[in-house]
Amino acid sequence: MGVVVKKVDLGWLDRTYVWPVMKGMSITFQHFIRNLFTSTAKRYTIQYPEMKKEIPAGYRGLHELKRFEDGAIKCVACFMCQEACPARCISIEAEEFSDLNITQGFEEKRPARFSIDMLRCIYCGMCEEACPKDAIWLRNDYEVAAYDRLSMKFGKWDLMNTYAEADGKDRISQDTTPTVPRRTIVM
Amino acid sequence: MDKLASLLHMTPAIFWMVVKVVIVFSAVMLLASVWTWVERRGSAMIQDRIGPNRAAIFGKIRIIGLAQLLADGIKFFFKEDLVPEEANKGLFWLAPFLAFVPALIGFAVIPFGKDFTSGGVTYHLSVLDPGNGMGLLYPLAIGGMAVYGVLLAAWSSNNKWSILGGMRASAAMVSYEIGMSLAVVTIFMTTGGYDPAEVIKAQGHLPWAWNIVHQPFGFIVFFTCMFAETNRLPFDFAEGESEIVAGFNTEYGSMKFSLLALAEYSHLMTASALVATLYFGGWQVPFVQNPAVMLSVASFLLKMLFFAWVFVWIRWTLPRFRYDQLMHLGWKVMLPLSMANLVFHAWRMSQGH
Repeated sequence: MGVVVKKVDLGWLDRTYVWPVMKGMSITFQHFIRNLFTSTAKRYTIQYPEMKKEIPAGYRGLHELKRFEDGAIKCVACFMCQEACPARCISIEAEEFSDLNITQGFEEKRPARFSIDMLRCIYCGMCEEACPKDAIWLRNDYEVAAYDRLSMKFGKWDLMNTYAEADGKDRISQDTTPTVPRRTIVM
Repeated sequence: MDKLASLLHMTPAIFWMVVKVVIVFSAVMLLASVWTWVERRGSAMIQDRIGPNRAAIFGKIRIIGLAQLLADGIKFFFKEDLVPEEANKGLFWLAPFLAFVPALIGFAVIPFGKDFTSGGVTYHLSVLDPGNGMGLLYPLAIGGMAVYGVLLAAWSSNNKWSILGGMRASAAMVSYEIGMSLAVVTIFMTTGGYDPAEVIKAQGHLPWAWNIVHQPFGFIVFFTCMFAETNRLPFDFAEGESEIVAGFNTEYGSMKFSLLALAEYSHLMTASALVATLYFGGWQVPFVQNPAVMLSVASFLLKMLFFAWVFVWIRWTLPRFRYDQLMHLGWKVMLPLSMANLVFHAWRMSQGH
């Protein structure tokens, strides 16, 4: 089956070539004038370090290990995320901790080390899906960069404090994962 | 002026010449380098982008991206100067100069202002005084030489893409030169002389007496050919990112590349000065019979920069031609058109107009 190519019938004015060129020039000149009188901040280009794109909901960026309100880690070191991870970038070492604590309430496991190699991670969000405790979330932050490989290995502290101001909580300056629970049950 | 000349152990004539040469060529080179910025920012605005605006002096003074010129210059200057192993070394070195020098010295005969008399001596505001016997044949001849720079650059780098680019440039050259020359010949004929000063004087100060009104077809042909001559976008066959890598300057880097790029923009300046001189009355100020010298210079600069901007403007409006399309245009459209233009004006002059 052949395709009928419809030939555009040019009028004599279009065939002179000068008139269409002038029409094209008027279009480009309109763009030029319009852009000349709009400030650079209002043009289409997002000038990156000063302006940032709005990230859509459900974006998978940098990980965060969630905390309870008292600052205790939600993660129970069940290794589900490590198993689910297709890039094998999560490595967890579990430890037992027996201090009674109001949120967790009884003797439990928690990660002694929890590290994600951000260079390996493919930001697929499988760990978030796998987590039974909603302890690991993927945030909106996409500026994950460093000068060397080692600093791209995010440890437990890094993951618990990734850009914490985005959800309203302050960034904490040191590891406050309580070895002793902050709020013991008031008898 | 005489005192200054004697201080420098020069005769006043030579001193005046040196002053003119320095001012004209540095101005053209400066404008050419500024025009690279105009091209980038202008194209950005035409395409709803922003363009280079971040280069800053000491990391602070941005001056709407003009520091980009400095940054580019410094970068080019300190890049490694590579010459390909198999290149013809001598010609490879020579080619950028052969491209740059003709582009610049074409400006020499063009009067950029009204001549003035001071102390009984008439000073002409063009590097070569009128009556030098070359007139406007000189920029045309020099413009014809400009393709050698491209061709040599292409040939000496011993690269197939380069050679393709050079071949296309020379093929295009053959097809547009005749039409352009005939358009200019028509002006020589109606003026009765080929000296740019005469051409300007004959056009007078009234805009409807300028050559653009009398010879619109000649203008269209000449202006179109100028695009081909300057190797600029609708007709930039010597380069073509999509087809032949970078074309004739594929193997060039560092200062040699920058010289080739600068040659294009100086050529653009010379071409727009030519268009302003031939068709828009040169330094003539519209409706002013005897303009002041500075006013005439400003008028010339304004016209020249306007046409230089039109070069940029058209570049970002039109897509590229195939080079057989330019040859079709050159031989079958522009040559007959300028020929008809010539014949029509010859007939008109024979009728006593």
